[in-house]
Amino acid sequence: MFGRFGNLAPVLAQNGQQQQQRGMATLKHISMRLKSVKNIQKITQSMKMVSAAKYARAERELRAVRPIGDGTKQFYEKAEVTPIADVPAKLVIAITSDRGLCGAVHTSVARHIRNELAIDDQNTKVVCVGDKSRLILQRLYGKNIIMACNEIGRLPPTFIDASKLADAILKSDYKFNSGEIVFNRFKSVVSYNTQTLPVFSLASVTAAPKLSIYDSLDDEVVQSYLEFSLASLLFYSMKEGACSEQSSRMTAMDNASKNAGEMIDKLTLTFNRTRQAVITRELIEIISGASAL
Amino acid sequence: MTAWRQAGLNYINYSNIAAKLLRQALKPDLRADAIKRADTHIKITKWENGKPIKESTY
Repeated sequence: MFGRFGNLAPVLAQNGQQQQQRGMATLKHISMRLKSVKNIQKITQSMKMVSAAKYARAERELRAVRPIGDGTKQFYEKAEVTPIADVPAKLVIAITSDRGLCGAVHTSVARHIRNELAIDDQNTKVVCVGDKSRLILQRLYGKNIIMACNEIGRLPPTFIDASKLADAILKSDYKFNSGEIVFNRFKSVVSYNTQTLPVFSLASVTAAPKLSIYDSLDDEVVQSYLEFSLASLLFYSMKEGACSEQSSRMTAMDNASKNAGEMIDKLTLTFNRTRQAVITRELIEIISGASAL
Repeated sequence: MTAWRQAGLNYINYSNIAAKLLRQALKPDLRADAIKRADTHIKITKWENGKPIKESTY
């Protein structure tokens, strides 16, 4: 019955808006809504497929990268490196990405940093990797950001990305005494936890009490190793972050499709009920019209 | 002090240059994959006082 009034559609739509404000849903509005929810479901479903494929790749690559991160961590643990107490300058590196729609991965990293900044925002500087952490942090703690990186998350991170970042951090004017990398450690498809990795300055490494367990170290070797280990730690944490992000996006999109499915069911039910009501009303009109003759 | 550090490089630059040369020296069938692993897209911007100060790609 609506097909005949095709060229009146804008007028009808305007009327419809007023009607909807009053809480009346016409058949046309329900079908429009139904169509849009169906489209959304299609989109979320295909996003889920895409991130499932990306996740499989990220997980495979992460498995290869984990030894790099663990190996690098060992050095600091074995040498018992601790930051020098009297220099408070601290650096925090937030590992996120540019892309959203992936649950709380970015916010949990940002929240961790925000809690730290709430304690001491004078001596702490932040390096934001990925647009998301920058967007969350720049409003409150914009002055603490010394560096921001983007174009992360579209493609899996490479070691060259990490080494560029490490290079930029080392060459920046900020002389930090201790630092940490905040990232999401991938646990399983449905879970990750936000963790930190320590980063130290050259001075605190050379002052480490158990450095002597390593043989034939001179300043040159220590400095070179520190530079390289920063790049490795960044690479490792970027990989962990990318993997958690994809797995979390997969779950988020799965939930979104499920919710859209529920909405479609409800809307279909209302659509059918309303259609029945319209038919009944028309019949009543016809019958009462005929009986009035 | 090593020669590369005197030239203003740090170990990251030095090892990346070495890695690049190694990739170029691979056999053609392996080289394509290795070079694909080495590309980079990251953009780094310096910030000061809550604002980006200059667009710079390292």
